[in-house]
Amino acid sequence: MASEEARPIELSRYCVPFTPFRGKLEEAMVCLVTTAGVRERKDTPFQVEGDTSYRVISGQALAADLTFDDAHYDHACADLDLNCIFPIDRLRALAGERRIGGLTERHFSMGFSQALRDLRETTIPRLVREVDHERPDAVLLTGG
Amino acid sequence: MQRTIELIGIPTVVITVEPEETAQARPPRALCPKGFPAGHSLGRPNDPDLQQRIIADALGLVAGEPRPGEVVTRSY
Repeated sequence: MASEEARPIELSRYCVPFTPFRGKLEEAMVCLVTTAGVRERKDTPFQVEGDTSYRVISGQALAADLTFDDAHYDHACADLDLNCIFPIDRLRALAGERRIGGLTERHFSMGFSQALRDLRETTIPRLVREVDHERPDAVLLTGG
Repeated sequence: MQRTIELIGIPTVVITVEPEETAQARPPRALCPKGFPAGHSLGRPNDPDLQQRIIADALGLVAGEPRPGEVVTRSY
């Protein structure tokens, strides 16, 4: 009984965590996080059949500075315009129109992986701490 | 990942083209542009107006009424 009580309680998958947004979108700093295997061209490629690492993308980067490594979604859109999966230019345009406050200094990307335990126990906690360091007011996530 | 970011106190929204899969994961906020295939989250290439509209709608969910766990589907 004692050991049962000592076990940490985990969030049920039926529970939805929810943080209210405070402030104004026009002042919000936004961080992009993707699972589409996007990276800076100069950075190390993702292993397309499975990779639990993540990449950091500069907030100064243009979509033209980026590429992606993937073998699981249709590339017709992203081959022509990387904003289809990682809309960094479009977010910057919204900032230019003062519809958001701006972009954080760093953004984040993961590739494809089925190593769910590694992701849950190592990759995601590390990545989420990095996101937290950026102090975004909101995070926009994209898949493929 | 979205749920973990939300857990540490940062509001999130996901743009998804796989609404059933996303709904099962119980997202804090999710926008599904209807009928877009995987790899086309923001719709069409080199269509900044459409892409900005989708982002603005997604961020609108962040600032809007809470609908936790729901995937909001819109046609574009």
